[in-house]
Amino acid sequence: MITIPYLTAVSTYFSYGLLFAFGQLRDYSRLIFDWCSTNNLQGYAPICLAHEDFYIRRLYHRIQDCFNRPISSAPDSWVDVIERYSNDNNKTLKRTTKSTRCLNLGSYNYLGFGSFDEYCTPRVIESLKKFSASTCSSRVDAGTTSVHAELEECVAKYVGKPAAIVTGMGFATNSAIIPVLIGKGGLIISDSLNHTSIVNGARGSGATIRVFQHNTPAHLERVLKEQIAEGQPRTHRPWKKIIVVVEGIYSMEGEICQLPEIVSVCKKYKAYVYLDEAHSIGAIGKTGRGVCELLGVDTADVDIMMGTFTKSFGSCGGYIAGSKELIQYLKYHCPAHLYATSISTPSAQQIISAIKVILGEDGSNRGAQKLARIRENSNFFRAELQKMGFEVLGDNDSPVMPIMLYNPAKIPAFSRECLRENVAVVVVGFPATPLLLARARICISASHSREDLIKALKVISKAGDLTGIKYFPAAPKKQEEEKDRIKLD
Amino acid sequence: MYVRALPTTDVNRNTEWFTYPGVWTTYIIIIFFSWLLVLSVFHCSPGMAWTIVHLAHFTVTYHSFHWKKGTPFGDDQGIYNRLTWWEQIDNGKQLTRNRKFLTVVPIVLYLIASHTTDYQHPMLFLNTLAVFVMVVMKFPHMHKVRIFGINGDQ
Repeated sequence: MITIPYLTAVSTYFSYGLLFAFGQLRDYSRLIFDWCSTNNLQGYAPICLAHEDFYIRRLYHRIQDCFNRPISSAPDSWVDVIERYSNDNNKTLKRTTKSTRCLNLGSYNYLGFGSFDEYCTPRVIESLKKFSASTCSSRVDAGTTSVHAELEECVAKYVGKPAAIVTGMGFATNSAIIPVLIGKGGLIISDSLNHTSIVNGARGSGATIRVFQHNTPAHLERVLKEQIAEGQPRTHRPWKKIIVVVEGIYSMEGEICQLPEIVSVCKKYKAYVYLDEAHSIGAIGKTGRGVCELLGVDTADVDIMMGTFTKSFGSCGGYIAGSKELIQYLKYHCPAHLYATSISTPSAQQIISAIKVILGEDGSNRGAQKLARIRENSNFFRAELQKMGFEVLGDNDSPVMPIMLYNPAKIPAFSRECLRENVAVVVVGFPATPLLLARARICISASHSREDLIKALKVISKAGDLTGIKYFPAAPKKQEEEKDRIKLD
Repeated sequence: MYVRALPTTDVNRNTEWFTYPGVWTTYIIIIFFSWLLVLSVFHCSPGMAWTIVHLAHFTVTYHSFHWKKGTPFGDDQGIYNRLTWWEQIDNGKQLTRNRKFLTVVPIVLYLIASHTTDYQHPMLFLNTLAVFVMVVMKFPHMHKVRIFGINGDQ
């Protein structure tokens, strides 16, 4: 639930209207200019339709320097951001050879495995020397090594399911597996804010897609009732299969899914539950086992658990965990398993070592420390930001915290001001978020120290004052100090 | 003064922004301020200014709602490429609150424009033509209809 000041909403619409109007005027003058000059298309069709890239050309390119910033070091808590300059008003950007060391608030480095780790990295280098960088084959041909088999067992045990299958790319896990699980005659009910990979997979499957209001089990129940009563479109036969797709932590909101209620609704109407734990596996829960552990949901109730290794484990790839029959079926039918190159062996070793560290099987308690630290860091940071008056989304314990910006002009202003003070933040606008709700998304890591967070808070507060995004009144500080003094006396 | 933004179920980002609070107010404010702008730039009578605003509103909304098809970004892989903005809004459902509001606004503008010009020609003729075309285009029966293939697909 987002609370917007009314004036901000009106001014944001007005700003976007102005930007679109100016873009349109520029397009018209370009049309008139190009009428005079000849085009050299040589009979080929143009690459994009006339208006498909309007947003990219006229709005995104104006503030291009805030996105896609190249880095030249590992994505640790501090990162080297390469400086870029532009001679033609941000239409093209050129890299320089200089880089600035910035505090990294944008990487999904939740447990700090994104850089050199004393347990994982030597084992990864050993595996690189033994198995080489790529398996050069798909899983069924020659791409399964002992490390892959160990990885699938390890992941299944960690997540709490009988078996698991691992693919080389997180996005492809969703977009290649959903078409295998369900086809025409089935129904997919997905949360309205699901990730593009799920949307792509659902569209590619050929099943009917219905959307329910974000994180609202009551609306999910209404949609389920309606759809089961109506049946398939036009023939009204009963649905062959119904899958409800939800995410553990929504990456743009930082909200944790209401899993117990959703699972009970799905059980009542006999629908399958597909849980995408890309951001929540390894980051929340007492032992890092994700949203099921945090909310106390039995893993046997969730039919298909999907996750990625890019966020908390510092590697690449994704997994699907489920019953033995399901994984056997996927191994025979999933194109990501049959035809795509298998995950590279050193990356697989990184995941195995990271899981060992998290569970404490490496002989130290670094895993438990990391999990405690990320929880502390996230709660501290979120509480401080809210005290300063920012509008921060997301639940407690979630390491993702979006700060609402709303106005399109504040997107580049906030991003550039933070970069000037050596803090690298990620800003997101339309169409990844709704038009009105542009935000700066902060990802906290276990490798951030308390000093890093305090510096980040100072910089964000200064940038927030300059851009005027403290939409809520700040919590009073002086009264608390006096109360403490009285207590001590 | 805060408002709550409830999450919508519209997956089409091109039309989803119209369901958030504040849009109707912004629309009316923009029309009112453009009337003030026209008055200050052209130094004409208020009635003439309302006529100019009405006709400009007709041109702009005709072009953006009923002529341009598809979405201004490529993320949705072109599934709305055959639909104009008016046909995409509210997932194609007819007679919703948003559609009724957007139909009433040109009618109210027409009434204001013809009242302030005292129903004189030629302004009355132009205004009437504009509002007639505007309202007919927004009928539920005109959903996905392309008269004589104008604005049809190649």
